[in-house]
Amino acid sequence: MYDFPLPCPYSRVVFALLVINKAGGLIYNREFHPGLTKLSSNDLLILAGTFHGVHAITRNINPAGAPQVPGGNNPNLPPNPMSYQPTGIEVLESSNFRLQCFQTVTGTKFLLLTEPQQPNVDTTMRRIYELYSDFVMKNPFYTVEMPIRCEKFDRSLDGFVKIKS
Amino acid sequence: MVIYSFYIFDRHSECIYTKKWSQRPTSASTKSLRPQSGSSFTSGDGAASGRKALSKEDDAKLIFGTVFSLRNMVNRIGGDDNTFLSYRTGEYKLHYYETPTRMKFVMLTDTKTNNLRIVLHQIWANLFVEFVVKNPLSPVEHPGGVGVANELFEMGLDSFIKSVFPS
Repeated sequence: MYDFPLPCPYSRVVFALLVINKAGGLIYNREFHPGLTKLSSNDLLILAGTFHGVHAITRNINPAGAPQVPGGNNPNLPPNPMSYQPTGIEVLESSNFRLQCFQTVTGTKFLLLTEPQQPNVDTTMRRIYELYSDFVMKNPFYTVEMPIRCEKFDRSLDGFVKIKS
Repeated sequence: MVIYSFYIFDRHSECIYTKKWSQRPTSASTKSLRPQSGSSFTSGDGAASGRKALSKEDDAKLIFGTVFSLRNMVNRIGGDDNTFLSYRTGEYKLHYYETPTRMKFVMLTDTKTNNLRIVLHQIWANLFVEFVVKNPLSPVEHPGGVGVANELFEMGLDSFIKSVFPS
């Protein structure tokens, strides 16, 4: 497949995708477009672990206080697991890139590094999650929480992200 | 736009100033900008409502840790000229500004607020430098927050925030 040498200024650029399992280990990483610093796999592992920790901390910082859910904060009732779950980092903005984080219900985190002004990252993320469920979770040879090595997932990601941008 | 709190950290990673605004303004009549507390060294009991027993100092430490890790992470991914601006969770948004002398200015607001980097820069340039750095009675470093929370700075910050967040 043709690889763009430089991200065209008008195209929508997705730099990279990282998948972090619920224990904080990096189970998938893929660079789609150059533009960010090349990181060794060791650095990427450190980065994934750091982000996992920071994500947990940001869930605990809650300046707004818990929202007033009807019956949700009643001390006489047992805690309802569906009532209120604070989310950690969803979007991180910096001058050169934007990091979108999506956490699944089971705790797997998808990190998408894009250009700062990129629109519709949510839909891109949703589509990637669909690809993940189709080609990784439905793969009978894949062990959950282990590094993802599914050729079909790679190819479909390439097809989706690169054609879209 | 709701503003929750504001922190200044010095280059020794110590929190030298905190200010919190009233939490959860009761929907309709929002006169939300009512300052609750002064500086960090008047060790308040941290009556953080609606959450576990995390005192004000713990909060500041958590925020510093978060900001410090994210800043390093962002620099590693995007190169040295890259600066960390803000992050958003489902509940709040954290805005970040760092001066060349590695003073860190952090502000927590609700999620719908736009980037406040310019506001934080103005707080540094127009308030911190004017009233704290140029104050002849204030020490060069501010261990424990000494000299930061003077009257002029507090008043200036209060009126500046009121002008930026009219409610």
